[in-house]
Amino acid sequence: MPILEVKGLTKQYTKVLAANDVSFSIEKGEIFALIGPNGAGKTTTIRMISTLIKPTAGDAIVNGFSILQNPEKVRENITYLPDEAGAYKSMTGKAYLNFMASIFANDPQSAKEYVQTAEKICGLGERLNEKISSYSRGMIRKLLLARAVMTSPALAILDEPTSGLDVINALEIRKMIKELAAKGMSFLLSSHNMLEIEFVSDKVGIITGGKLMVTGRPNELKERYNAANLEEVFERVVKEHEIH
Amino acid sequence: MKFINLLKKELKDLLSTQTIMGMVITLVIFYGLGTIMGDVMEKAMASSDITICDEDNTEFTNSVLQAIETLGNKVTKISPSDESDPAKIMKNINSESLVVIPKGFTKTVLEDKKQAELKFINVMKSSSLSGTISSEKTSAIIDIIKEAVSNTLLSNYGFSQSDIATIKEPVLVKDITVVKDKSAEISLTAVSSLTMMQNMFLPIVIFILVMFSSQMIISAISTEKIDKTLETLLSAPVSRISVLLAKMLAAAIVAMLNAGVYMIGFSKYMNGMTGGATDKINASAEISKMLSSLGLQFATVDYVLLGLQMFMTLLISLGIALILGAMVNDAKSAQTVIMPIMLCAMLPYILSMFTSINSLPLGIKILIYLIPFTHTFTATDNLMFGNMAIFWGGFAYQVLLFIIVMFFAVRLFTSDKIFTASLNFMQKSKAKRQINSDK
Repeated sequence: MPILEVKGLTKQYTKVLAANDVSFSIEKGEIFALIGPNGAGKTTTIRMISTLIKPTAGDAIVNGFSILQNPEKVRENITYLPDEAGAYKSMTGKAYLNFMASIFANDPQSAKEYVQTAEKICGLGERLNEKISSYSRGMIRKLLLARAVMTSPALAILDEPTSGLDVINALEIRKMIKELAAKGMSFLLSSHNMLEIEFVSDKVGIITGGKLMVTGRPNELKERYNAANLEEVFERVVKEHEIH
Repeated sequence: MKFINLLKKELKDLLSTQTIMGMVITLVIFYGLGTIMGDVMEKAMASSDITICDEDNTEFTNSVLQAIETLGNKVTKISPSDESDPAKIMKNINSESLVVIPKGFTKTVLEDKKQAELKFINVMKSSSLSGTISSEKTSAIIDIIKEAVSNTLLSNYGFSQSDIATIKEPVLVKDITVVKDKSAEISLTAVSSLTMMQNMFLPIVIFILVMFSSQMIISAISTEKIDKTLETLLSAPVSRISVLLAKMLAAAIVAMLNAGVYMIGFSKYMNGMTGGATDKINASAEISKMLSSLGLQFATVDYVLLGLQMFMTLLISLGIALILGAMVNDAKSAQTVIMPIMLCAMLPYILSMFTSINSLPLGIKILIYLIPFTHTFTATDNLMFGNMAIFWGGFAYQVLLFIIVMFFAVRLFTSDKIFTASLNFMQKSKAKRQINSDK
């Protein structure tokens, strides 16, 4: 059984069709990346799966629970890291992790374990005792990422996980995602940086204009479209779509 | 448990060091002001000596001075000087006022039987309230002197003290003030000046409370939205309603704390303001007895009702602020979005300060009563004067409005709108056009 099965998700705003019949699935321990330009419908799709907004049509099943029928159960199985998210600046890193753990955990013992896990993953050491307002962007991202994976969710949803980060920080975060996936955690990522995502994801879905054009393993896609990288794949997919 | 954690986080956010410092400073300032004002008023009201320079120095003027002392005042006599410039005279003596009985005063009064001139020199040191009180005190000195002169004159003609009293006050006025079905022997002026003193600080507290708590919740929600921490929170296994309630409850608790601080601080200040005055006339106990016999003094039940009314206003303003805050997408609009709440609080606040809203023309009255905060500004009057139908009607209207506001707030929070709603219509349509052109 896949960890995530997206079935024809559609979101129609008053004038804009932001997501159009999007379908794909993610297996256990798999890293799936939705790639496409800005405004392609990546965040809308991710927000629907995260139960933040309701789809106009379609459904998604997360670890056996429907986002329409059982959104509370879905939220117990996922964590979501929004694009360019911040944290509560008046809190210390440690206090933030404690607070978020208390929201996810059902008992104090598991909350404590979550925080211990996050402390190890984020690698911020003593800086965790300082106010988040003193953190760099990279440090905040690491803290938030640690928060997103500390509960060992069935599916971690990360919207543009490395956007705005320098090369070293981006590399560290990609490494972290790969290590966690190897231990069995599934990831749904989104990125407009197609070159970068090629190195981290097992499978990609190319989305543009709200429509998921194609899904597959990066190497398969490059072969199928006779392309050197995913950017070229994207270019050919869009052209092919325009011809049809 | 999760709700408690949410609430604790909201309270920690709101009760920052700055907020607590603000409360402490408010308390210290009001306390300090109260103490200073108390001292100032006491000094201003204290019966100081009447300094008199008797240039005439006759048997008549001496008996006038004696009469002044008989009326309960202390007279300090200074010897005449050659100086004619009043400013220089005042500089040389240790008093802020001086009465000069010029040469020939006795002759003018007793022989010429004309009105004689008295010089009354006062030093003005401030234009503040304490200055006003000083001026009242000086006019009291004049009255004392006039009374002493006429008493001395009349006794020269063989009138007894009781005859003098009858001649001067041939009519005795017995003031009776009626409030609803109760009455008391007190003048309307005394009652209204006291109730005004008693009630003037409440609207200020309500106004500050509404503004403070609204701004607090607007910034709490908008910061969470702008930083996208709201998205993180709402994708966590916690109900949206509990996130909403934690925010409202935390803001209400902090607002009530603030209200308490203002109440304590302001009552201390008001005690300082009125303390000196009432001590002097030594009638505060008498007057407060009169006020309670007129039903104008608040009983415990009135305070409870007033508190309930204030809490309702607070809840409505928090509900509206919640909706407005959720529509904010940038830090700039977070500061301006409070405008509608500010106007709605300011209008009844100013009107209730200058007039009774109940006495306004019907059309305007209805319009003002449609503003939910009005009912709290008029609550003191309504409770005092027993307009219970208006009080409960207003309360019912507030409850209804609160339910409507909360209905929309819950709908906003439980729908996509919490992420898509915006007050920046221009920006929104621009963004939409952008998406359309992308497509």
